[in-house]
Amino acid sequence: MKKIISLDIGSTWTKGGLFSLDTLGLKLEKRIAVPTTQANLVQGFSQALAGLLQKDKDTPLKELTGPAEIYFSSSAKGGLRIAAIGLVPDLTLQLARLAAMSAGGKVIASYSFTLTRSDIDHLEKLQPDILLFCGGTDGGNSHYVLENARKLAASSLSCPVIYAGNRAAAEEVVDLMKAKEVIVTENLMPEVGQVNLEPAREKIRDIFLKRIVSGRGLSEIVELFGTLPRPTPLAVFELISAIPQYQTDWSDLAAIDIGGATTDFYSNTESYLETDTVVLKGIREPKVKRTVEGDLGMRVSARSLADSGWPYLEERLSELRLEATRLRTYLDKIARNLDYLPQSEEETGFDRLLAETCVYYAALRHIGGWKETYTPQGRVYVQTGKDLRRVKAIIGSGGFLSATHSADVMRRPLQKLRTYGQERKLLPEKPLFYADRQYLFSLLGNLVGKYPAEATALAVASLENLNDED
Amino acid sequence: MHQENESNQERELRNMDKDTIILGVIGADCHSVGNKILELFFTAEGFKVVNLGVMVSQQEFINAAIETNARAILVSSLYGHGEIDCQGFRDLCLEKGLDRILLYVGGNLVVGKTPFEIVEEKFKKMGFDRVFPPDVDLKQVAELLKQDIKERFGADSQGPRDKGSAGEPTKPEQDARPEDRRKQSSSGG
Repeated sequence: MKKIISLDIGSTWTKGGLFSLDTLGLKLEKRIAVPTTQANLVQGFSQALAGLLQKDKDTPLKELTGPAEIYFSSSAKGGLRIAAIGLVPDLTLQLARLAAMSAGGKVIASYSFTLTRSDIDHLEKLQPDILLFCGGTDGGNSHYVLENARKLAASSLSCPVIYAGNRAAAEEVVDLMKAKEVIVTENLMPEVGQVNLEPAREKIRDIFLKRIVSGRGLSEIVELFGTLPRPTPLAVFELISAIPQYQTDWSDLAAIDIGGATTDFYSNTESYLETDTVVLKGIREPKVKRTVEGDLGMRVSARSLADSGWPYLEERLSELRLEATRLRTYLDKIARNLDYLPQSEEETGFDRLLAETCVYYAALRHIGGWKETYTPQGRVYVQTGKDLRRVKAIIGSGGFLSATHSADVMRRPLQKLRTYGQERKLLPEKPLFYADRQYLFSLLGNLVGKYPAEATALAVASLENLNDED
Repeated sequence: MHQENESNQERELRNMDKDTIILGVIGADCHSVGNKILELFFTAEGFKVVNLGVMVSQQEFINAAIETNARAILVSSLYGHGEIDCQGFRDLCLEKGLDRILLYVGGNLVVGKTPFEIVEEKFKKMGFDRVFPPDVDLKQVAELLKQDIKERFGADSQGPRDKGSAGEPTKPEQDARPEDRRKQSSSGG
């Protein structure tokens, strides 16, 4: 029997799990959570590890090597902050955003066509961790990337730049930006409509490793245990990618992870089924997709959630005959105390409303739609974005959704989303709802590279079915 | 996700010396058979064809032309509403900086039995470089296209300088993003 430990260094908690692996598969033996020590991430890491190995919490890290294989992830303060530069908003810019998010990053700004002086000012102020720079198909437009390269070269930006645009312009871009760190990779869109996110994702991951390992003092862990960290959202992304491959009953799935600061939405299903009556517009989105919403969250982002999500909140408040002022008071309270837990039934209800609102808007932005059009040949649907109708399982994760005992907090907002304006949203038709009750998804995501069959099997077995209760 | 076996370099070599053209059926028109034939034909004629298929909007044609640095947009319309669908196409191209692109249009462009000369004049007034009836000989179209590309772009192997204003220094007080400009232009016609 083998002992395996997986740890996830989050912004507030460092979580860990001890697993045993034998011929029957992977089993969770022990879980632990200790406060993350921001000043020195290694301290929290080694405390969690000592706890799992039933050693004194001050045991030096060196003495903890040996008994178990170690894997770990780090949220790096909510993920790498990426600025995306593309050419046409619906084409290369949209792909740059998707690549950034599916690599576990956060898109903090995006720009199309020519960068203006105020765009450069804005970028300099934002100080992104990475600039993802693309535009033009291979052999296609090079004018805009060269123009923008000149402007970026003259800026004070110091972050690494990943160039994933027109290959024919790559050398000139590198020359123009000599003083910057430019990493060239394959074009995100080598031809119109052809989606090639993997190479850029890989580069983002490399930069994450460099930054997080040397920048946040994790090199000691890397040296001692011979294992590299991955961004937490990427770990989950890889688990979601692998589940249908190894667990054939779980072919089409989605997951929603609501945290204090962000809401992540993952889906793994074909994005478009070609038929005579459905025409796809824009890019064909990837089968595995992650979107992350920085303005939707239960605590740090509760205020921006109330701003972005007011139409939904207002409708729900009136349905429930609740006073908006009471909710406002609650929002003030949690803004002052980000660790606040509901103390009354009313407050629990408000938290549920906030979670519903996160689900509603994250789904709205992740999921595509159909618009009905009448043509001389009959009725046709024009599809934009991703079709999630075939998704059979929706998994809730994160503090609130992991703990919920009712599918309604996910089901209700999705039902309300069926039609949005002129659009019919392509929501899962008959989904079953599950909760990541033991909060294992990020931990198992760390193991999926080495033990895909075992990690995915435990992931689906650990889910709690929420469907009998309603 | 990663389907090409052909390396980027090979593909580039294959396509580098070809002129890119954008193909599609405009508006709410779903006629797809002729569109597929055009794609095969123009590919065989040595063009790099980006086929956007059916029900393509002006904006989609232009987006694809910008990203690929295309020489020409070939618009098809079979269902009689071509005149409405094509209105303002040239203006939008100019607004988006495609100031040299060739615009071709062909098909059953209007309803009824309007003489072709009148149809042709109408579309030329709208800024189309060539207008074709439904029964045109494709070979002839391909020859005209090669000739027109040569005339307009010459031996410019780098491709057209596809944005007129981009060479000029940006005027920061304007701060007009192309998206904003699009809004203005589409509301204007």
